[in-house]
Amino acid sequence: MEKLSFYFALWSAKAAQLALRIIRKGGTTAPGKVALAICPDFLTRIGRPETLIGVTGTNGKTTVSNMLCDIFEAMGMDLVSNREGANIDAGAATSLIAAASLGGKCRKKLGVLEMDERSAARLFPVLKPDSLIVTNLFRDSMRRNAHPEYIAALMDAAIDRGTHLILNADDPISSSLAPLNSRTLFSVDKLAQEPPARENLVQDVRICPVCGERIVYDFRRYHHIGRAHCDSCGWHSPDPDYLLVAADEEAGKITVMESRIWQEYPMPSGEVYNLYNTLAAVTLLRSMGYAPEAIAAAMERLKVVQSRLRSEEIGRWQLTESMAKGLNAVACSRNFDMVSQTPGKKAVVLMLDDVFDEKSSSENIAWLYDADFEFLCDDSIVQILAVGKRCLDTRLRLLLAGAEAERVIAVPKAADAAGQVKLEACEKVFVLFEVYRHGQAMEVRDAIAERMRSA
Amino acid sequence: MKLEYLYPELGNLYGDGANMRYLRQCLPQAEYIETHIGETPAFVSDPEVSFLYSGSMTERGQGIALEELRPYAGDLAARIEGGLHALFTGNSMELPGKSIDAGDGALEGLGIVDFRSRRDIAHRYNGFFLGNTNGIEITAFNSRFSHTSPGPGLSGFARVTRGIGLEPDCPFEGYRVGNFIGTYLLGPLLVLNPLLTQQLMASLGAEGLPARFTEALQAYEARLTEFRDGKRKLD
Repeated sequence: MEKLSFYFALWSAKAAQLALRIIRKGGTTAPGKVALAICPDFLTRIGRPETLIGVTGTNGKTTVSNMLCDIFEAMGMDLVSNREGANIDAGAATSLIAAASLGGKCRKKLGVLEMDERSAARLFPVLKPDSLIVTNLFRDSMRRNAHPEYIAALMDAAIDRGTHLILNADDPISSSLAPLNSRTLFSVDKLAQEPPARENLVQDVRICPVCGERIVYDFRRYHHIGRAHCDSCGWHSPDPDYLLVAADEEAGKITVMESRIWQEYPMPSGEVYNLYNTLAAVTLLRSMGYAPEAIAAAMERLKVVQSRLRSEEIGRWQLTESMAKGLNAVACSRNFDMVSQTPGKKAVVLMLDDVFDEKSSSENIAWLYDADFEFLCDDSIVQILAVGKRCLDTRLRLLLAGAEAERVIAVPKAADAAGQVKLEACEKVFVLFEVYRHGQAMEVRDAIAERMRSA
Repeated sequence: MKLEYLYPELGNLYGDGANMRYLRQCLPQAEYIETHIGETPAFVSDPEVSFLYSGSMTERGQGIALEELRPYAGDLAARIEGGLHALFTGNSMELPGKSIDAGDGALEGLGIVDFRSRRDIAHRYNGFFLGNTNGIEITAFNSRFSHTSPGPGLSGFARVTRGIGLEPDCPFEGYRVGNFIGTYLLGPLLVLNPLLTQQLMASLGAEGLPARFTEALQAYEARLTEFRDGKRKLD
C-alpha cells in the first residue's frame, strides 16, 4: 500500500512537472509538494544519486551550490541539482522527481542539493548526503531561525553519522557540528591586502563553546569569523586541512595550502566572503579525490551568479547591484562593508524591506539594529536612499548610526527612487536589495542606468 | 547617573543592544558600564547606578546569566525595592522569576518576582504587539519560545491591545515592580517607542528629549497606524 502511494505520488508529480513544462512554468516546487502531500515519506523512497552532496549554512550556500554545479558540468558530468528551485524538502523532491525514472530510480550518478539549514530535520536524515558543506552559521531571520545556537542544535540532531562534513574552521559555531562525524576543514588565512577588522554589532561567539568563559580572538575577520581560543579550558578554533594563504585579484588566483603544498586555483570573485565560498567548493572537490589541476581547469570560467552581484560601467559612473538579504543583519553588514571599502564618491539605494510582511503584516525591524549601518556613515557616501514602506525606520536607523541628516532620504515608493539619486555628486551607485525584491530592484537599477546613459 | 548593561556578551540577541546604545545617545552625560561574566555587577556596590539593562539571550546564555546573577539576587531585590530603574527585555525578563521550566528540567530563577516561566523549544511564537502603558501606546515585537504565568498580584507592564501578553490568555504583557520593567518584547524597544523613552528619561530625572526624537516619532506613528489596522496579521 505504501509502495503504491509512492508510485502514485511519483507519477502525479511527473505529470505535474510535464504540464508545467508545457506551460513554461519552471522553477516551481509544485511537483515536490504534490508528491509529499500524497506520500509524506516520499524523500526516503525516491531514488537518490550514487553520490549526493549537500550544501547548507546561513550565507553562501546558493553561491557554493552554483559553483559546484558549474564545476561538475565543466568536468563533463551530468548531475541533478536544485539550482532552479527551492532548498526546502519540496524543492529537493522536485529535483529528484525530474531526475527519476518512472520506476523511481535516479538517472544521474551525482547530485548537488542546496539545503535550507532550518529544514535540516526534514532533509538530512532522509537524504543522508555523502558530503555536506556547511558554509557558516550566522544570525538570520529571528522568526525562522531564532539564533545560531538553536540552528546548530537542530542540525546536530539531524546530520547522519555517515555524512562527511566540510566545515569552516574559522566559524566556531559550524565547525563544532556533529563532533563524531568525519570532517575536512577549511580556513582563510589573514591576507596581505586585508583591511583591519571592523567592529561588528553582531558577534555571536563571545563565550567558550565548551566552558562558557569569555574567549579571546587571535584574529577576527568579521562578526564571529576568525581564530579564537579559551584561556580557561584550552579550547581553540580547529586546525584547517585547506588554508587559503593568498588571493591575487589582479591575476585572478587564490593559493591554497594543503599538507604543506601550495596549489593555485582561479578566483571567481575577490570579496572575502566569496573566497570562503570558493574555498569551500575546492575543499569538497579535493576531499572527493579530484586532482587540483582538474579542479582549476574546471573553474576557469567560473563566475558568481550575476543576479547576486553585478557591476557595469555606464558613462562616467559605475552601477552595482548586490543582493543583501533583508532580515539578515550579517549579509547586509557584509554588503555595507563592501560599499564603504570601495573607493570613490558613492550613492547607495537600500531596498531591504521584507516583501511578505509588507503585504500582510508588519516587519519586525529589530534586525536593522543588528546590521552595521555605521559602515555607511563616512564622507565617501554622499547619499543614502532608504526605499520602501519601512523607509522611516531605515532612515532613523541610519541617523542613529551617525549618518548626516542631509545625506539620508526616505523614499516610500520604489518608483520614485531612481529620480532622486544625485548623480552629479557621485561616481558610483550601489543598489542593495532583498532577495525577493530582485525584479523591483532591477527596475530601479535600469532607471538609474537610463539616467546615466542620457546624462 | 550611571547606566549598567549586564552581560552584553550574552544579552545582545535580536537588536536588543540598541536599547543601551540609544540611551547613551539620549543621556550623553551619563556614565556607561558594561558588566561581563565573572565580574561583580556595579549595581551591587555603587548606589549611583540608576539604570540596569539586560537583553535577549540564547537558552544556554540564559542559564549562564542566572548562575552569574544568583549570588547577587538579594542585592538586586534590595535595589529594586529601593527604586532602581531597570529594563529586562526578551527572555532575560525570566531571570528574576521563581523558575523556568525548560522541558527537560527546570531552572531555578532568582526568586525576586512572583512568576514562573516555561519554555517549549519546539514552538516559537512570533508577532507584533500593540499595547498601552501609563497612557502611551507601545509598539513592539515578540519572538520567543516561552511563556510566563504571573503570580497573584503581579502588575503588568502593558495592557494588550493586539498580540499576546505574558502567556496567550494574559491581558497584560511583561511586569512592573516599582521602576523595574521586565518584558518579552524584544529588539530596540526604546527606539521603537520614543514616548516610553521620554517617560523613562523623565523618571530618571534627565532633561531633554530622546535622541532623534522627531524622526523616531514619525517612524513610531507610521508603525502605530499599521499595527492598529485590523487587516494586518500579527505575523
